[in-house]
Amino acid sequence: MRWRPGPIFIILALAALLPLLDVVLPPKMQLCEAVRGVFLYAILALGLNVVTGYAGLLNLGIAAFMAIGAYSFGILTCEIYPFQLGFWPALALTIPIGAFAGFILGAPTLGLRGDYLAIVTLGFGEIVQDVLKNLDVVTKGTQGINPLPAPTFGGSEWTAEDEYKWYYLFFALLVLTVIAVRNLERSRLGRAWFSIREDEIASRSMGIRVERTKLIAFATAAAIAAFAGGLSASVLSSTGEPSNYDFQISILALCIVIVGGIGSIAGVLVGALVMVGLNSIVLVKATAWMAANGIGSQGNVLLSPNNWKFLIFGLALILAVRLKPNGLIPPRIERAKQ
Amino acid sequence: MSVLRADGVTVKFGGLVAVQDVHFTVKQGEIYAVIGPNGAGKTTLFNAVTGIYAPTEGHVEFNGREIVEPLTGWVIFKFACAFFAVGIFTLVGLNVETIWTAVIIDNYKYDQPFPWSVAATSWYSTIWSLPLVKNLLPLLIGGGIGVGAAAVSWSRGRRAPDHIARSGVARTFQNIRLFNELSLIQNVLVGMDYRMKTGFMSALFRLPRFYRERREFHESAKKLLDFVGLGDRAEQAAGSLPYGFRRRLEIARALGGKPTIILLDEPAAGMNPSEVVGLMALIRRVRDAGTTVVLIEHHMRLVMGVSDRILVLQYGKQIAEGIPEEIRVNPKIIEAYLGSEDHG
Repeated sequence: MRWRPGPIFIILALAALLPLLDVVLPPKMQLCEAVRGVFLYAILALGLNVVTGYAGLLNLGIAAFMAIGAYSFGILTCEIYPFQLGFWPALALTIPIGAFAGFILGAPTLGLRGDYLAIVTLGFGEIVQDVLKNLDVVTKGTQGINPLPAPTFGGSEWTAEDEYKWYYLFFALLVLTVIAVRNLERSRLGRAWFSIREDEIASRSMGIRVERTKLIAFATAAAIAAFAGGLSASVLSSTGEPSNYDFQISILALCIVIVGGIGSIAGVLVGALVMVGLNSIVLVKATAWMAANGIGSQGNVLLSPNNWKFLIFGLALILAVRLKPNGLIPPRIERAKQ
Repeated sequence: MSVLRADGVTVKFGGLVAVQDVHFTVKQGEIYAVIGPNGAGKTTLFNAVTGIYAPTEGHVEFNGREIVEPLTGWVIFKFACAFFAVGIFTLVGLNVETIWTAVIIDNYKYDQPFPWSVAATSWYSTIWSLPLVKNLLPLLIGGGIGVGAAAVSWSRGRRAPDHIARSGVARTFQNIRLFNELSLIQNVLVGMDYRMKTGFMSALFRLPRFYRERREFHESAKKLLDFVGLGDRAEQAAGSLPYGFRRRLEIARALGGKPTIILLDEPAAGMNPSEVVGLMALIRRVRDAGTTVVLIEHHMRLVMGVSDRILVLQYGKQIAEGIPEEIRVNPKIIEAYLGSEDHG
C-alpha cells in the first residue's frame, strides 16, 4: 500500500515551515510568536482530549493541572527555593507531578458520571486557584514565582529574542505530545477508553477494569496539562498570578476540542489554530491594523475587534456545533462512516 | 462437572421479588436454556450471575467456587498504602505553611548551598513538635478515610462484572450493547482485552512486545470474526452493521476472552427464520469449540432445537427443569405460556 500523508502529518509539516513565511511578511504581521501560543494550547487541548475525547469524561478543570504544572516548574527552578533544577529536569518532573495530581482528583470521583463529574472538576479548578492565591508562603500569592529559567542549549540561556528557537522548541514538544497521545490512542488502552465512552456497562462486562482505565485517562490528561503549564511558565519566565489559570482557560481548551473534533488529534490541532488563532492572531492583528490606519479609536470600545472576542467565540462555537457536530476533522471511524 | 451453579438465588428490588430461590446447575459442554414469559426474571437472573446486580440471597458458583476476589495480602497492603497516603496527605495539607517555613525557608540562605540533611531532620522534628490535634489526629482521621474508601471500593468491586468476566463468564445483552463507534475488529479486541499483557509504557514507547502482541491478537480477532461469518467486514464501524449481524458480533466479542461459559440473552430476538437457522448452527459450533452455552430465548423452535436442558421461570420462580421433550409436554409450562383452560 502506498503511504499517504495523514491530516496530522500535513498540519505539522505546515507548522514546521511557517517561519519561512515570516521572512517575507512585514515585521508587524509576523506570526511566529503568536503561533507559539497555538502550540501551547494545542498541547493542553490534546491532554483534555484524552480524558474528554477518548474516555468521555467531561473535565472542566484542566486549567488547574496547568497551574499545578506551572507552579511546580516555578518551585523547582526559581532561585528563591533551594531546588534550582534546570529547565529540562524541571519540565520532565512536571509530568509525574501532574499525573499524581490527576490521580488525586480522579480517585475519589470515579463513581461520578457526566454532569456530576463536570461539576466536581469545575470545583477542583476553583479550589486550586484559591489554594495558590492563599498559600503565600509557598506560591508567593498573586505575585507569582519568578524569574524562571529558559532552556539552555550549548551553554547560553535563551532570551525572548530567540524567537525561532522558542518556536521550534514548542513545535518539537507539540510533536512529541502528538506522538505520545497517538501511541496511546492506537493501543489496548485507547480502545478501552473508547469502549468506556461508548458503553460503560458493556465494557465492564467484557472484563475492562473501568475504574483503573478511567484513572489512567485522568492522570494522563493531567500530566499533559501540567507539562503545558510548565512550558508556559518557562516562556513567560514567571508562573504569573493564579487567576491566569482560571475557568476561561479550561473552557478555551474544551472549545478547541469540540470545534476541532472530539477524540481526533488532527481535529484538536486545527481547533487550536482556529480558536487561539482567532483570539491572539486575527483579532490582535486586526486591532493593530485598524489602529495603524486610523479606523479604530481608543474612545470607541465597539470599534476594537479585541472587544468582540467572546461574541465571536460564542458564534464560532454555535456555528461549529450546528454545522459540523463531529468537529472540523472528525475521528477516523466517523470519517469512515460518512 | 458443573461449570455454573446457582444456589437459592433471590433478587429483590425493594418489595418486588424479581427472582426467587432459583437453583440450577450447568454442566461442562452443554447448551442450557432459560425460558419463561415476559417479566419472568430471566434477564435479572443473568444480571445476578454476571454481577450487574448482587443477589439478595443465595450465591452463584463458577467451577465450584464463588466468584469473589479473595482478601489476599496484596489487598491488605493496598489498604495500608491508602491509610498512609491519605493520612500523610491530610497531615501535610493541614500544616503545609508551618512545614514549608521550617524546612525550606528557615534553612535556605540565598547563594549558599542548601543543607539537605538539616532540612530532612527539621521536617521530622517540625511534625512532632506540632500539637496532637495538628499531627496525630489528621493522620488518623485521614488514614481512616483512606482505608474506609479503599475498603468500600474493594468490597463493591469484588463481585463486580469486570471481575466475573475475567474469571471466564462472558455474556451478550438483550438490547444489543456494541461499541458503535469502533470497528468490528476493535469490538472483538475489547472483548480480548483482559488476555493482553502489555501496559501503558509499552504502548507509549511502542516496545517490540507491543507490536508482537498486537499482531497476535489482530490475527485471532480476525479468526473470530470469520468464525461468526463477519470476516469480510472487519474494518466497518459496528454502528453501521445490519441488525442480524450485530448479534453475531456480540457473540464474537464475548468469545474474545476465551470464556469457559457464555451467556446469551435472547440471541434470536428480531431475527427472521433463516437467520435463526444460521444462529442455531453458530450456537452449536460455539459449544463444539468447547464453550458452555447458557441462553435465554423466546423462540421455541431454537430452544427446542439446540438445548440440552431447559429451565422454566414464571413470576421469578422456577417451575420446571428438564430435557426439551419433557418441557414440551409439561402442562405447567403450557399453562404459563397460554393460560389455563379453567380461565378460558
